[in-house]
Amino acid sequence: MIETVTKKYDSIDNTFCSYRVTYVNSNRVKSVPLDPANTDYQAIQEWIAEGNSVIDNPPE
Amino acid sequence: MALSKVDLANQVENQLPQNLVANNLPFRNIIINGDMSIAQRGTSANTLASSGYYTLDRFKFQAISAGVWTMSQDTNVPTGQGFAKSLKMDCTSTDAVSGNDLLIIRQYIEGQNLQYLKKGTANAQSLTASFWVKSNKTGTYILELYDVDNTRQISKSYTIDSADTWEKKTITIDGDTTGAFDNDNGGSLIVSFWLAAGSDYTSGTLSDTWSSPTTANRAVGQVNLADSTSNYINITGVQLEAGTTASDFEFLPVDVNLQRCQRYYQVLADGSQQTLSMIGLGFYYSAVLMIMAIQYYTEMRATPSLDNVSGTNYYRIFANGTNDYFDDFFLTSTNTTNKVCDLRNESDISGATGDIGFVRTENAASFVAFDAEL
Repeated sequence: MIETVTKKYDSIDNTFCSYRVTYVNSNRVKSVPLDPANTDYQAIQEWIAEGNSVIDNPPE
Repeated sequence: MALSKVDLANQVENQLPQNLVANNLPFRNIIINGDMSIAQRGTSANTLASSGYYTLDRFKFQAISAGVWTMSQDTNVPTGQGFAKSLKMDCTSTDAVSGNDLLIIRQYIEGQNLQYLKKGTANAQSLTASFWVKSNKTGTYILELYDVDNTRQISKSYTIDSADTWEKKTITIDGDTTGAFDNDNGGSLIVSFWLAAGSDYTSGTLSDTWSSPTTANRAVGQVNLADSTSNYINITGVQLEAGTTASDFEFLPVDVNLQRCQRYYQVLADGSQQTLSMIGLGFYYSAVLMIMAIQYYTEMRATPSLDNVSGTNYYRIFANGTNDYFDDFFLTSTNTTNKVCDLRNESDISGATGDIGFVRTENAASFVAFDAEL
């Protein structure tokens, strides 16, 4: 079960490059590409649609 | 002694089992890892209550409020059938299951692997499912095929007759002349072994012909395997093939089986197998950014996620005579495809720009894998 989703930014060009996902009661972390065919990406979109919020700290 | 004319065709027909002659198409099994031999994520996982992939490759645990389970790769197999492993579900906490509760073991199949079935045409092929099953809980179980692309499904019931006894089940499913599978890498067909179903799925009449789904008709008669902590089920030898008869299970060499699984999930490093496991070469793009270039063992179904266990100093890069420890990796979409990716760390490391070093695991719990499952 997803616990947090954080936007990851590429420090080379400051573009949004992937999601970092943590899970409840787990030290497993997923780095999820922005690909609609990826089922973790799909799960994040469903998680957002359920009203959950993505942590977003864009580089300044 | 003079040589006589040899009728080779007759010798083949007479000496080989008939089903090897008539039905021996290679890769006829639509199911991947049907002999339960590959378990890259691990051989056992306990306290399972939410859906996910936990142990055996390609077989997903799907659950909504249906107890708590241990899922494992088991060595209990039907005698004399050639199998070495089975999938075992063991109930550790019960649930009465109601409403939309469910418990399913399922496999998603890519549409591009199903085109030869000619679904959605007048020539649609029948399918035959065969598998071995053993449980303490006798009664009616449901096998369901679900067409994701066209939202259609068909359910077939089978009976476990004798407790604690391996039984082989064979189920033939008519071809569906409505709705073609998409010819792509998406999940088009779901093969589901129902193990428990709430009343939402059981209150109608079993839909044993292809049709648009009616929820109440999907799992009518299904026993509740979650009603006792004594309950378990073992499954192996799962085969789904075109035609109306079941051929012998198609055993594949372990390397072929593994490679087929790696299209969906592959492990790059596992500290539990080798604490100081080599991952590859990395370099310092800058003083605070380390990058590794990775080529997967085999092309993956889609751009994968990085599946990574994070922990303090679980990984390190050794460069220019110095160890530099870090906790985990991330990947970037711009440099990641279904063939290659870059792995990075920029939260923990500190080095000299341009230095190259080898990267390895540093803890028995360290784990790096790529996940492109359906």
